[in-house]
Amino acid sequence: MTSDENKNSRFLLFLGCAIPYRVSSYEISTRKVLGKLGIELVEMAEYNCCGLPIDPINHEMMLTLASRNLCLAEKQGLNIVALCPGCAGTLRKVNKKLKEDKELKERINSHLREIGLEFKGTIEAKHLLQLLAEDIGYEKVKDAVKNPLTNLKISEHSGCHVTRPFKYVDFENPENPETLKNLIEATGAQYIEYTDKIACCGAPIAGVNDKIPLQLTREKLVNIKRAGAHALVTVCPFCHMMFDTNQPRIERLFNESLKIPVLHYPQLLGLAMGLSPDELALKGLRVNPAQIISHVVERKEDR
Amino acid sequence: MTNMERPRIGVFVCHCGLNIAGVIDIKELIEYAKTLPDVVYAKDNRYTCADPGQDEIRKGIEEHRLNRVVVAACSPRMHEPTFRKTCADADLNPYFFEMANIREFSSWCHPSTPKEATEKAKDILKMAIAKARLLQPLKEIEVPVTNKALVIGGGIAGINSALDLAEMGFKVYLLEKTESIGGHMAQLDKTFPTLDCSICIEGPKMVDVGRHPNIEIISYADLSNVSGYVGNFKVKIKKKPRYVIHENCTGCGECKDVCPIEYPNKWDINMGVRKAISVPFEQAVPLVYTIDMDHCIECFKCMDACGARQAINFDQEPEEIEIDVGAIIVATGFDIYLPYDDPLYGYGKYDNVITAMEFERLILAAGPTGGKVIRASNGQKPHTVAFIQCVGSRNLKKYEYCSGFCCMYALKNAILLKEKYKDEVQVYILYMDMRTHFKGYEEFYRRARDLDVTFIRGRASHILEDPETKDLIIRAEDMTLGQPIELPAEMVVLCTAAVPNADAGDLARILSISRGTDGFFMESHPKLKPLDTPVDGIFLAGACQAPKDIPYSVSQGSGAAARAATILSKKKWKIEPIVAVIDPEKCRNTRVKCGICAERCPYGAIKAPEKQPAKVTTANCHGCGTCVAECPADAITQNHFTDDQILAQISSALEQDPEDKAIGFLCNWCCYAGADLAGTSRFEYPPLLRPIRVMCSGRVDRDFVLDAFRKGAGMVLIGACHMPYDCHYISGNWKMKARMEALAPMLQKLGLSSQRFRVEYVSAAEGLKFAELMKEMATQLEELGAERIKAENAKLKPVLDRMLAKKQKQQRQ
Repeated sequence: MTSDENKNSRFLLFLGCAIPYRVSSYEISTRKVLGKLGIELVEMAEYNCCGLPIDPINHEMMLTLASRNLCLAEKQGLNIVALCPGCAGTLRKVNKKLKEDKELKERINSHLREIGLEFKGTIEAKHLLQLLAEDIGYEKVKDAVKNPLTNLKISEHSGCHVTRPFKYVDFENPENPETLKNLIEATGAQYIEYTDKIACCGAPIAGVNDKIPLQLTREKLVNIKRAGAHALVTVCPFCHMMFDTNQPRIERLFNESLKIPVLHYPQLLGLAMGLSPDELALKGLRVNPAQIISHVVERKEDR
Repeated sequence: MTNMERPRIGVFVCHCGLNIAGVIDIKELIEYAKTLPDVVYAKDNRYTCADPGQDEIRKGIEEHRLNRVVVAACSPRMHEPTFRKTCADADLNPYFFEMANIREFSSWCHPSTPKEATEKAKDILKMAIAKARLLQPLKEIEVPVTNKALVIGGGIAGINSALDLAEMGFKVYLLEKTESIGGHMAQLDKTFPTLDCSICIEGPKMVDVGRHPNIEIISYADLSNVSGYVGNFKVKIKKKPRYVIHENCTGCGECKDVCPIEYPNKWDINMGVRKAISVPFEQAVPLVYTIDMDHCIECFKCMDACGARQAINFDQEPEEIEIDVGAIIVATGFDIYLPYDDPLYGYGKYDNVITAMEFERLILAAGPTGGKVIRASNGQKPHTVAFIQCVGSRNLKKYEYCSGFCCMYALKNAILLKEKYKDEVQVYILYMDMRTHFKGYEEFYRRARDLDVTFIRGRASHILEDPETKDLIIRAEDMTLGQPIELPAEMVVLCTAAVPNADAGDLARILSISRGTDGFFMESHPKLKPLDTPVDGIFLAGACQAPKDIPYSVSQGSGAAARAATILSKKKWKIEPIVAVIDPEKCRNTRVKCGICAERCPYGAIKAPEKQPAKVTTANCHGCGTCVAECPADAITQNHFTDDQILAQISSALEQDPEDKAIGFLCNWCCYAGADLAGTSRFEYPPLLRPIRVMCSGRVDRDFVLDAFRKGAGMVLIGACHMPYDCHYISGNWKMKARMEALAPMLQKLGLSSQRFRVEYVSAAEGLKFAELMKEMATQLEELGAERIKAENAKLKPVLDRMLAKKQKQQRQ
């Protein structure tokens, strides 16, 4: 196997902070699905914080933290895939900045040298969505679908860090993201557009204010319900916590029934690939996805 | 210098009252002049430019058989034409005249150091005399003029150009790519600020064009090639087949009545339909029907209806015609930006979001809805309509410029809605700034406010659609309230940017005219030549140069006609002979694939066909000299600014104490003019510079720089026009920049201190900047010290000698 082929099928899995202990269903389903799609995920034992949370306080520290992770990957000669868009965006941004700015690279390397590392700029970091769209490709995703989710109506929320800031992330138009839509359609499900699709999920404000983020999340959920979607799909742990974990709270606060299941994209794809709900950790969801599961199971039995 | 008698130079030194004589020792200057080679006569005058002064020159030429005249006085930008004429009056070729600028460059800028000022004046005079010894007689070039014109584009600007020229008695070809003349104006409902019906005022003009004996409309045709030059353009035009014979068609429309096929009418922005055989609109000129073969099913019912008139011919082929014209007016107008690519507005996605041009067709009585403004989603009248300004315009991510007329047409459409539907409709305008200058426009804005149109200052950030009602919600910031707002509207009208015509690029290529970064055609000078292009004989009118409203386009149409008439009204057109000439013997294009000159010429005036020597189309040459400096074989000469003339100026300037001096190559239009301004403003600065005037910095050959350093110059300065657009010759400064950016590191590698070679950009308005530059250079020169400069030069000299050996060899030949 040449090293390029190696880089296309073997990735270092960057887990970040939120996923392992708050949204493990995302990790479990991703591992299952990527395995089935022929991607080998290599553990990244010594990884540290991506750096994003510390950026507002110490920019230099963020750059150094992120670049340490990049250096570890360079040592292994593998590209990184991150499930959290915040991690992916930070690693991409820092990777790009250091590759383009010689002076900055030199400065950061002076910090890294203290722990015996050096940033060279030989690898890429990407988000799961980019890996699915670019390294695996829609065709291969479609081919893996054994149980097309026909008649299932699915909306999406791509979130902010997957596409922003465009200057650094350099992936797709933040005002009109299409990758997740295309990936939903690849499962055979019907993609449902809804009002104000690119609006914020509310998570970034959650630490500062209680009410505004929940209002934002609620508005989106109402629009999704009005559009007639059976479920919402996300690719970010924080978006997911807003839509899923907080949904019962929103229902109580605004005294209304929403009951919109919120799936991680790998869970949706996994169902279409014929994996069982247990394998995909659907039990880990707060809003009961029974309706979706029964829909899939019924179709299976029909056949 | 063959076949020429020995120079007999007369020097005339002007006192300019006390302007020169108050600082410079005139007597010393005269005595000095007399010691210089070939000077046979030297005389001073109080005012050389006044009649008695000019008489002295004429008398001198006659009595002393002078064959060269040098006047040491003010700037050649001031009085060179005056003295050239004086020489011509005395039967001396005017190009045997040279000027030494000792006022702006010496007495006015060094008043407190008269001794140094006099020394500098001596050098300036010596340099002028050195050039004068090598001057060649030149003759103005004359070309014949075809007194016919081509106007490209039949919109309101082109219509006015054509009518004005035709009225002056010139034959005019009016080329229109679509089926009818009229342009965008014919699509509009009413015009601002008078609310005249647009087609009602343009229609009669279109008919005038159609009937005028001097105008030939060539419609449904494209420009395919233009060759030649001012006064003598050869134009090839390709006519598309209409499948209807122009001469036989009476415009009765009986064919249309029987045609069974309908297709979307572009004229109605595809909101209405037209028949497969039809005219785009009732008032079309020429009123000739056209069959659209993409939709025709060839049932031939139209042929039966036409009957004995036999106007329909399904076998028609495209036809190429060729015409000769003396001048061309480009009036190709603009296109409307369709914001499909900006998801924020939802254009193309939401039914009830339309462009302003679509709105024009909706509210127009003759439009597809008969003048009813209705929503595409349900055919109902909207109760709230919001106009959003600056869609695409004034946006760094899209088009940086202001499209100019959108504020006014939004006001007009708002007023029309209010007057038509009164209180049944609420009208909002979301704007950044309302731009309502020009006559009657501000009053029009007031009229809209009086009609209760609501104005919200703020840019729309996002438009949402209610999936059930198809109503829209506009998210925006209300800057007056300082808070975000959500505005519900049943219809949104996007006032989108005016953009360059889709085929502007092709046209620019065919005509060798240039476009700005915004894609619109570039005028020759933004202030003083707004209607000219860099190509003599080709003019611009209307919105093809930048977005313009109707009165502005009409004025430009007439203006361009007047500009064209300055050529068409003459039997012969004179061209200044300061042009480039290629020696076919030296040109290496015959041997290898070179063509560098053709590629670098900003005017496309040089052609270098394979295996043939390159050739300058003299009438297209503007005399910048860029090709001369670029030619690797030194095969090109610029008349009046030849290599040996400039090298002689360099040598004479550096005869004594070269390390204390800076040689400055200053372009005539910017840096030289800026230096003149420093003089007229009496900014005092140290007298280190020895100026050499070139028409364009593009003329500065790298050999000039090398030669100056070889001869020991302390510093070399190249003074050019500012980037990116100031160059008088479009891009000569860019060519110079590329050349010198390659040269500078090489010189530094050879040991030259970087301060000693500078390229500076000084505009004609930056006298102060020029004076500051001189001060800075003098300080640096002092810091370096003569010893260090001498040492550097000694190290450089053998290398430079070798590099210039080739040039010397050629000079000896």
